[in-house]
Amino acid sequence: MTKNSSTTGSGMSGDSPTTRFGFTSVPERERQTRVNQVFAKVARRYDLMNDLMSGGLHRLWKNELVAWLNPPRGVESYTLLDVAGGTGDIARRFLAASGEGGRCIICDISGEMLQAGKDRIKAGNANRIRYLQANAEFLPLAANSVDAYTIGFGIRNVTHIDHALSEAYRVLRPGGRFLCLEFSEVQVPMLDSLYDRYSFTAIPAIGAVVTGDAPSYRYLVESIRNFPDQDTFAEMTVAAGFERVSYRNLTGGIAAIHSGWKI
Amino acid sequence: MSDTTDKAGSAENRVDPKLLEILVCPVTKGTLEYDRDNQELISREAGLAYPIRDGIPIMLPDEARKLDDA
Repeated sequence: MTKNSSTTGSGMSGDSPTTRFGFTSVPERERQTRVNQVFAKVARRYDLMNDLMSGGLHRLWKNELVAWLNPPRGVESYTLLDVAGGTGDIARRFLAASGEGGRCIICDISGEMLQAGKDRIKAGNANRIRYLQANAEFLPLAANSVDAYTIGFGIRNVTHIDHALSEAYRVLRPGGRFLCLEFSEVQVPMLDSLYDRYSFTAIPAIGAVVTGDAPSYRYLVESIRNFPDQDTFAEMTVAAGFERVSYRNLTGGIAAIHSGWKI
Repeated sequence: MSDTTDKAGSAENRVDPKLLEILVCPVTKGTLEYDRDNQELISREAGLAYPIRDGIPIMLPDEARKLDDA
């Protein structure tokens, strides 16, 4: 009847809810499958894709994320759950920044992404990393079980962002930290139209040449545009229960890091 | 010097006990039984057995074996 798409109503059959897949509407149940197919295809080239979409800046942004997390440098046990962390980019930086007690659980819904990341972890760090294939909306971890939760360029691919945020809150121990790095809304007038043109024309074109798979790249660009802006996402973080919620814009808002604490 | 090339159940392919301690069923959030021989994590409540491949727990209901039609 009505076209209320934002709420979580889960129709069984008949009028099954639709959701966004890039700019295309698809049945909700199909979306995760299609997202997974995108990542299965691009897993080996994911770094390259991030370089294309961010002009290489994602490396600096990930440094910034770990710097803001500021993990303890001592021997005390400190476990980070890095969701959608298949490439291992955040895990590697976290282990370099944290002390002996630092451990990272890399969680990704895509087996291909996990494998791509596993191949690149240095042997010296391997015993401080654990792998887990799971959906951010249905984490297989006990409540209050991790010290920090990070998700980098992952949450926009989740079907129900509010579910993923609730799950983040649940698994964090009291005093635990939530950090999310994601493409965001460009805050600089000239930059936004430039970035628009770049991302909608150049990225799928380069993606097609490099991997022969333009549609996957088009999805990835479109998914950025569908993602809520900084203030909206901050409100969603608050709604999930987090406190002291704040964000930092990166490179004029091309990306942003959101922070929250479970008190 | 022999690093890998061990049969299944080599140290590399075992699930870390610390991780096992905090793993729960993603559907019910209930406890799991670790079936070492078959490399599965069993959720009785959900009626699902989650596979472990190369030491990685695959905690997705779609990838799990239904206990009924075992």
